[in-house]
Parts: sequence; structure tokens; C-alpha cells
Amino acid sequence: MSAVRFSLDGDPLDAQPGDTLAAALLRNGVTTFTRSIKYHRPRGPFCFSGTCGQCLVRVDGVPSLPACRVPVVEGMACERQNAPLGSVDTDLLRAADFVFSSGLDHHHLMTGSRLLGRVTLEVARRLAGLGQLPSAEPPALRGEMRKIQIAVVGAGPAGIAAARAAKAAGAGVLLVERDARAGGAALLGIDPLGADAGWVARELASADLTPLDLRTSAEAIGLYPNESSGGLLAVRVRGRLLVIDAARVIVATGGVPQPLPFAGVDRPGVHAARGLLKLHAECGLRVGASLAVVGDGKEVVDCARALRVAGYTLARVVSTGDGHPPADDLAILHAQPLRALGNPVRALDVSEGPRIRCDAVALAWPPSPAHELATGSGAHAGFSPELNGFPLQVDADGRTTVPWIFAAGRVCGLGGASAVSSGTAAGTAAAR
Amino acid sequence: MTLLEKAIVCACEDVSVHDLDDAIAHGLGDIESLKRYTGLGTGPCQGKSCLTGATRICAERARLPREALVPFRARPPVSPTTMAAYAGAPLEELPAPFAVAEKRRAPHPLRSTSALPERADVVVIGGGIMGLALAWNLAGRGVERVLVLERGYLCEGASGRNGGGVRAQWTTPTLIELAKESIDFMGRFAQELGINVWLRKGGYLFLAHDQETVARIEKSAELQRKHGLSTRIISPDEAGEIVPELDKRRFLAASWHPDDGVVFPWPFLWGYADGARKRGAQVETFTSVTGLEVAGGRVRAVQTDRGRVLADRVVIASGAWSPSVARLAGVELPNKPQRHEIVSSEPMKPFLGPLVSMLGTGLYFSQSMRGEIVGGMGDPDEPAGLNQNSSLRFLTRYSRALTELIPRCGSVKLLRQWAGCYDVTPDHSPVLGETPGVAGLLQMSGFVGHGFMMAPAVARRMADWMGGAQDDIFERFALGRFAEGRLEKETFIIG
Repeated sequence: MSAVRFSLDGDPLDAQPGDTLAAALLRNGVTTFTRSIKYHRPRGPFCFSGTCGQCLVRVDGVPSLPACRVPVVEGMACERQNAPLGSVDTDLLRAADFVFSSGLDHHHLMTGSRLLGRVTLEVARRLAGLGQLPSAEPPALRGEMRKIQIAVVGAGPAGIAAARAAKAAGAGVLLVERDARAGGAALLGIDPLGADAGWVARELASADLTPLDLRTSAEAIGLYPNESSGGLLAVRVRGRLLVIDAARVIVATGGVPQPLPFAGVDRPGVHAARGLLKLHAECGLRVGASLAVVGDGKEVVDCARALRVAGYTLARVVSTGDGHPPADDLAILHAQPLRALGNPVRALDVSEGPRIRCDAVALAWPPSPAHELATGSGAHAGFSPELNGFPLQVDADGRTTVPWIFAAGRVCGLGGASAVSSGTAAGTAAAR
Repeated sequence: MTLLEKAIVCACEDVSVHDLDDAIAHGLGDIESLKRYTGLGTGPCQGKSCLTGATRICAERARLPREALVPFRARPPVSPTTMAAYAGAPLEELPAPFAVAEKRRAPHPLRSTSALPERADVVVIGGGIMGLALAWNLAGRGVERVLVLERGYLCEGASGRNGGGVRAQWTTPTLIELAKESIDFMGRFAQELGINVWLRKGGYLFLAHDQETVARIEKSAELQRKHGLSTRIISPDEAGEIVPELDKRRFLAASWHPDDGVVFPWPFLWGYADGARKRGAQVETFTSVTGLEVAGGRVRAVQTDRGRVLADRVVIASGAWSPSVARLAGVELPNKPQRHEIVSSEPMKPFLGPLVSMLGTGLYFSQSMRGEIVGGMGDPDEPAGLNQNSSLRFLTRYSRALTELIPRCGSVKLLRQWAGCYDVTPDHSPVLGETPGVAGLLQMSGFVGHGFMMAPAVARRMADWMGGAQDDIFERFALGRFAEGRLEKETFIIG
């Protein structure tokens, strides 16, 4: 297959067919995708799943698109943002990072003098913001409305199982999936106890579900309760809105890869472990040869092994807690990450032992439950340090504290091996 | 000097662990306050990648109880979505706005366990800008025991939910004078209270789309000029010089006042609260008022979920909740709460100087100091009621109206929507001063969505009046006027 030509800041570059913009830029050795909003720190892709906002690039005159979600097409013109002085690589405003070396207290900056306050205001205003206004008016994007008994959000193992169970119980179902392919975490081959890609293929081919029951590239962006029961689920499908009026909603949105704060965690070259697996699965690309993997619990063990299967060598696997299953093959170091060094990152200092040299750092703390759709509509979620976030509170049927909202899978703390059974329970109960 | 490397918690907004420590040291350790004080979770990812890290720090360093560890309220959209997408939603098929029953609130897990004082000279109910500004002014005039009671965190009510527009373009002399004094004070706020409120005078541009509205703005401009404002009526071409992206075919003329502007609302509350505390007042958050004791035609005490406080003077400064609070003393206010929705876009490089409002549709929008387009639009079908939920219908109406005026904004993405309650009176003027039949119960409400910008002047005059000074606004705007049929009509209401 021939290369796809596109440009970055006016320079012509080649991508492989099927590349996302993030993959194409990394392939070309570009690791700094943008400059951060306040300190102009270099930033590159972290999550590779469109959730973190660290890889925003201007594409064909439209500002701040996540490079990890934009497929490269022939002739696409991309520009990096937020480097008003110099280029993104040489950005002179990165001086702000050193001048305000511990942080910038904008509340109390220059409050002593009215004149200096005004100057500060003018400077701050000029430096604010990320993208320039879009170059052109977009075409009209007419949306549509659909009524359905049960909407299921997220076609990972839990969502697929929920949709199948609800359909089998006789309910009308629509399953929406933000990625182009259904399968979610099962496609990454992380959890040996969880469903795999073969399971996904078999379930989707089962007689219970038809292709009409599934919409891919369809991201649920809002859930608005109706006056009596049920709600409107706003779904973005290729730029347009699909509004689903659903009597019941099953939230199976999985988890979001998390960085936890340590010095340099935001630098280019620090990636979510699941993100690197996704990049490899979707675009066949690795970000170097050797990785320092940092995380905790079962997640760090599973991710480290999956990354090794994907062709990486493991410079070191670091666990920040003691809660991981035994893994003699990984020679796990128990330590805290102290500082990621280099741009892109080429080393990691940890609290025990010598500096770890590597081509990149992969973070593998448990993905945080993606609770936003449900909690935004009033469902309760309490903090769980073990699950690294806020799992939705559910009963044995997967019912949240809002009677018409159900949940299954990691979003309510039932990921991995429990995902399919929790989906089946929620789907069956929601169809009742 | 060793160059420190930052430990970033929120990459979208460049918030470091150090910034969180700083906020916690300021007493803002709950996650909603932390979000507002540091900007954490307000960027393109909307907190999906920082909430856990921040919560771990909160739990450990602010020593929050487990039940207080909740996510900050998730605001749609879950991921940034263009105005063009919302504008294209099938509006006709979306449900009309409906009233919701207000949920009873359980005592807040962050409620302090310490006792309140047995007696106060003045209890102010409501820690919004009105109540806090009044407390600061009273404490500065030697009133010793001032107690402010706020049921949530500072900024939880309308003072923390507005778009930050401040203007002197009003249609009654009183409001023009109050606004002028307030805006002048906002310019000195940082020096007086020690915190930046980022008053940016980009002007207000009111657009008129029909001849009737043009006649209205011409009349208002004349009155405003009489009161020393430089308001001018300008042509679409002149408006186009101020905002080049405007579609000039959409309006006939505009009312332009360059000295109006936009502020960042939250620091007002922190500034006034800190200032009031420094002067000896007490500000208690997460504390609910549960009763008002009246005897012999006088207010005697305030009951709370933390005990009872004796007081001879109690000020109701509870915004849209004022009627519910007044009812605790058996007093009916004519005010009606009404939801107004608002939305913020992704941060853009500066392109929009003024706040733009289309008269007649209720659309308004401006660009914040952070570069976001922040705006709202009233809904004629909105029922009365305490409702702070968001709707899809609002995003669709707003996106349609805004992209009609600035078509290029169609590809700008919306990040975060929320809602607050206007406190609406029958004549759109406030309720101030004494309560007939209940001596010592003082009203400070009914600001119909513009209380924020009036507060510095209203609070200054209220404190003077409580100290014995003569001021006719406390008679003209007294609660008694509704029974007497003596209304004070203000017509320039937007949003």
C-alpha cells in the first residue's frame, strides 16, 4: 500500500494507511504535539483514546482536535498550536515553566498595584487559549432522534453482554460504541481472565444481536433525565448528533487511563500502558524498544505482560503498591516514581535503586471508572482507592441509585473477569 | 538554583501538586472548591484524567472524611463537541423545559462539628456575593459579631454560576448608579481585597434586530448619557469593526458602551470571605438554616443544622432560595426562582473583545480571560422553580443562535454546561430593607440575574443604611411596594 501524504506546520510528511494523526506524527519522529496552556510545557499523546486532551492539533483549519482520534487522509494540513513565539519545538514562552518553577498563583499575582495589575491582565489575555478561531464555517450537520427501550453505552465485554441479554429478554436495544470497532478492552488482550477478541466476534455474530443494534464511532456525550423516567442520551456520530430517547440506559463505559502526579509525568514519552497497546493494535506502531512500566495491582502485571507480547522489552516494571498478583517473570521493583527525564522521556528516577533508562514510560494504574454520564444524571459514586477512582454504586442487578440507569463492567468496579456476568445481569434486569 | 520539575495533576490546565497544596492551605480542600480555585478539571478533558489524582491528594492532605470524597459534578458534554453538532439536533423533537422537585439535602459531610456562636449581632443567610460583600462592609463599620451562613461551598449558588458580565447600560437611574459604583470598585478589588478578579473592559454590544428594539436602545442610550455613560448607537458596519466575525445582516443597529466588561466571578467570593474574616466576621460553609424564630413582631434567632444562634438582625441574601428562607419566618416574597443555563467553550486565542447580546432572543456571550466563549440564552418556556439541571435543548438553541451570528464558531467545541437560578421579582427590581411585620428581618434579594454586578455598591449602601444612614433605595425597593402596587420597572434584562 502506498503512503498517505499530509503536512505538519507546512512540512510534507508520509503516513501509513490506517494511521491516526498521532501514529503518523510519532512514526515521523514528532513527539511534541503541542505546548501546554500556562507553562508552555511540551506535550505529546498520553491516552491514545481521546480522553486526555494532551495531543490537540489544528487540522484543516479546525482547532484543537485530538490527534489520536483523527485518521490521516491524503492532503490533510495539520498545525501545532500554542507557540506564539517561535515554533512548537523552540517555543520561547517555555521560559514561563522556569520563571514560575513551583507554580503560578494567578489569584495573587500583582495585586498590589492597579497599574501592574492592568499590564498583567493584558499579557495574560494575550497568552490565554489554545486554538485560533476555525478558518471556515462548517457545513450544516443535521442530527436525528430515535426512541428505544434500552440504550447501552460502550461495546466492551460488559456492554455487549448487557445488550445481548436485554435483547434476548425481548427489549428493543441500541448499543453505541465510541471506537470504530466494538470490543473495548477485550481487543487489547490485557486481562487473561477477561473476554478476548474471539469472544467479541462470537457474541456479535450471535443470533440475538443484529448489526442494526450496534452503532460504532458513536460517542455518548450527555445524558439528560426526562421529566418522568428515562432520559435523552446525546450521541455524537461522525460530527452529528444522534439523540436517543431511552426508557432505560445501561452505562458500560469502562475506564479511563490515569496518570498520577509525579515530576515530569506530563512530558512527551510518558504514555498510558493501555494507550500503547491500543496504538500497537490499531496502527502496528511501537514508541521505541524498551519501556519502564509503572503502576499497581493486577493492572501493572497484565499490562507489562501484554506490552511484552506486543514486542516491547521491559526496562523495568515498577509497582507503587503491594497489591499485585505474583509475577516472577517481571522482576517487579517496589518503588515510587520520582521524576521522568528528557524530552521525550528517556529515563525515570524512582525511590529505590538506580535510574531506569528507557525509550518511554508506560503508566499502568487501574483505569478510573468512566462514571461521568451516570453521575452527571444523579447516580452515586464513592471513591475507591483500589479501583483508582469513582465506581458507580450498583445493586446485584446493576441498578444505580437512579432507577432507570444501570451499569455494568469496570464503570461499577466489575471489570475483567466479572465484566460479562455483570453485563448479563444488568441487561436482564433492565429489560424487566 | 535547582530548577524544580513540576508534578502536574491536571495537564489540561497545568495545575501542579503545589497548586493543590496552596488551595488546601487556603481552606478550599473540598473537590468543588479545589476545582474552582485551581482550575483543575476545567480543560478539554473535563477532569477525566485528573480527578483521581486530585482526590487522592484531597483525601490525604485535606483529611476529608470518606463520604465527602465524591467526584465534582460531571458536566456535559463528556467530550468536546462542536456547536454545529448541537445546532443540528432536532430541536422540534426535544422536550420543552420542565420543573423539577428540589431534593431535600441531608446534612453535608463537610459540615463542621464545632458549635456556632450563641449570639450574633447580624446573621447573614447566604454566602453568595451579596451576603459576603455585606459582611465585609458591616465588619468594616465596627459591627462586631457578623455571622454568614452558607449551605454549600462558596460559589455553589448563582454567584458562582454566572457569566461574569458587568455593565452600566441599564434603563433606570438607580441601577445605572449602582452599576457604575460597583464597576469602579471592581477595578480596585485586587488592591482592596488582595485577589485578582480580572476585570477586562471589553465593552458591551447590544444588538437590535428590529425597529422597535432600535427605538428602545436609542431611548436607553440617551438616559445613560445623561448619567455620564458614553453609550452610542452604532451601525452594523461599526459593530463589525469591533467584532469582525459578526454576520452584519442579522441586526439593524447596536448599543455600544466600551467601559462595560467581564470579570472572573469566583475570586469575588473568596476575596470578600477572606476580607470579612480578617475584619472579624465569621463565614461558615456547609451549614444549613432550618428555622427562623420570630416573637413579638421581631426576629429572635436562627436555627441551623449546627445549632441555634440568637440574633436581632437577620439578613436574607439567599438569591433564588430567598423565598424558601423567608417562609421559615412566615413571610411570603413575590420572587420566583428561574433556571438559566450557560455553557463554556474550549479555550480559544483572544478574538472577541466585548460581551455581545442579541436583545429579544436572550442570547449573550463573551470571551473569558481563559479564552473560553462563555454564554447563555434565556428560554421563554422555562417554568419557575429551583432547578439547576442542564438540558440538551439549551445547547441546541444557544448553538443555533450563536452560529447564526458568527458562523465560523460552528467548529468551536463546547466543553461544559451548567445552570443557575435567577431570582426574579415581578418588576425586575430588587427587594431591599425591612420586612413588614417582622422587625430585624432584612431583605437583600430579587436581583434577576444581575446581582453579581451590583453587589459591591448594594452591600456598601446596605451596610451604611443598617448603621443608620438615610438611603431612599431601602424604601423604594422595600418589600411593601408589591402590596402597595408601587413597582420599579427595569426592562434591560438579558439571559
